[in-house]
Amino acid sequence: MTARTSYLARQILRYSITLFIIITLVFLIPRMMPGDPFISLLGEDVYYRSPELVSALKAEYGLDRPLPEQYISYLYGLLKGDLGYSIHCSQPVWDVITYKMKWTVVLLLPSAVLAAILGIVLGSISGWQRGQRTDTSITTLFLFIYSMPHYWLAMFFVLIFAFYLGVFPLSGITGGGLVGWRKLQDILWHMALPVTVLTLFGATYNYFIMRGSVVQASRESYVLTARAKGLSERDVLFRHVLRNAMLPLVTVIALDFGFMVSGALLVEIVFSWGGMGTLVYDAVLARDYPLLHGSFLVIAAFVLVSNFLAEVIYAVIDPRIKGR
Amino acid sequence: MLFGLLLLAVFLLLAVFAPFIASYDPWEPGKSFLPPNKEHPLGTNDIGQDIFSELVYSARISLSVGLFASFISVAIGTLVGLFSGYLRGMTEETLMGLTDVILIIPAMPLMIILAAHTAPSIWNIILVVGLLWWCSTARVVRSRVLQLREMPFVEAARSLGATDTYIIFRHILPNTRQVIFAKFILVVAGAMLTEASLSFLGLGDPLQKSWGMMLSYAFSRGGFLNGYWWWYLPPGICISLAVLSFVLIGFGLEEQERNDVNTI
Repeated sequence: MTARTSYLARQILRYSITLFIIITLVFLIPRMMPGDPFISLLGEDVYYRSPELVSALKAEYGLDRPLPEQYISYLYGLLKGDLGYSIHCSQPVWDVITYKMKWTVVLLLPSAVLAAILGIVLGSISGWQRGQRTDTSITTLFLFIYSMPHYWLAMFFVLIFAFYLGVFPLSGITGGGLVGWRKLQDILWHMALPVTVLTLFGATYNYFIMRGSVVQASRESYVLTARAKGLSERDVLFRHVLRNAMLPLVTVIALDFGFMVSGALLVEIVFSWGGMGTLVYDAVLARDYPLLHGSFLVIAAFVLVSNFLAEVIYAVIDPRIKGR
Repeated sequence: MLFGLLLLAVFLLLAVFAPFIASYDPWEPGKSFLPPNKEHPLGTNDIGQDIFSELVYSARISLSVGLFASFISVAIGTLVGLFSGYLRGMTEETLMGLTDVILIIPAMPLMIILAAHTAPSIWNIILVVGLLWWCSTARVVRSRVLQLREMPFVEAARSLGATDTYIIFRHILPNTRQVIFAKFILVVAGAMLTEASLSFLGLGDPLQKSWGMMLSYAFSRGGFLNGYWWWYLPPGICISLAVLSFVLIGFGLEEQERNDVNTI
């Protein structure tokens, strides 16, 4: 077995165990919490239903059966894509989530890409000019952003750009009533503020890692060799330092994706962006547990898959893991 | 770092002397939705409580949530790091495997689920954050322990017949103090931000005043939609500055620690 395959095998094992733990947690948490597990599983809305319906639901969900049996039918349901039924939304959980998830991804992908670019560019500039004016001011700025709650910066942006300046819309995904090209334009216009906020936060982590990575790489002896060969500072930075400093960033960007998903949830709420964030917010307010559990499973699966892809990419590009 | 310490001192004073600084009882209702004026420097909220007094009292809860949660998570992380780093072998495999697995579970969504199932209380938030946020501490402590366990003084203790637990707690632990303390400070920052996020989602303790709860109310009760900036900007500024103070101190300590290691 080459080093690469054994590395990937380890990662597959690690991710499968994590997925299994997440799935089991979602099964166990509502059943172990104090209070009637029936409410923890079907949401607080069942309180207001008729007693006949409640007992019918209880039988339908098999909550009177022993735990192992319930667990097996739960796993079997997951395989079929059955995440349960949201009484609050009167819809299967899976249908609600697939619709909302789409809009969260629309926000996330551009932000993640922009955050990576911004973090890498500014991080290498600061790392290369460590201790100088540019470095100090950019680092201070990112320290501030790092210390803010995501959603609060979003609120601040809305206050300035939407409330006072009126350049961007207050909330929502689209004004409605538009089709085709105009609709796309309108959506992009609504996206501008949330994507900016998310990009800034995503860039923060990338920036600090990239800066540290460049600082470390610039102390290596090959940099001295490159300089001694008479290469220009630009060539040393771009052809030698960056190529080595970029490597750890692949995994960082992926791990960062997990943070960005959490951030997106909160930022969405501020902008009333109809994605997973507003969905979770409404589900929390209504104590709609099936929807919360489903959202958690889908978000977790999404984060795990993207992290796993990053590990695969890392294994392919890092010459040290390449087989012999 | 000096700036961080000063900032933190200000917030600590605010928290300790809250009753003397605040001009009103933060719970006392009055005239609602007042803009900033002479009697109420930051106006009043939806049920007429004085926002400035709320802000001062909230420092207590926000800071203590951060400190307690960080204490729990750093305690767990330290134990995991110490034992896996010192004992190696199976213990290390299991503990680090566990850490690796927990590290990739998206923490925020899991905390939302846990908090949604428990009654909204400050202690539940502290527990949830504390129990899920120890992974990075465990990793840092372990890598330090891996260096320490090969040092002559540890070997000397071992050859004198000291037990593993004795060596871990009497010799290894004191030498990881610096790393642990830096981590503790940084986790406080993270825990405060998490409390703010959970509270914002409506999972905070309605019986306690924290900056996160203030933001949550300002958002859900019309302060945000009506542009009452004096209601939601100040708590955000407080959270950001308090977190910043911890981050600055934490980074400063880590830098110092790195320099110390380099000079050895």
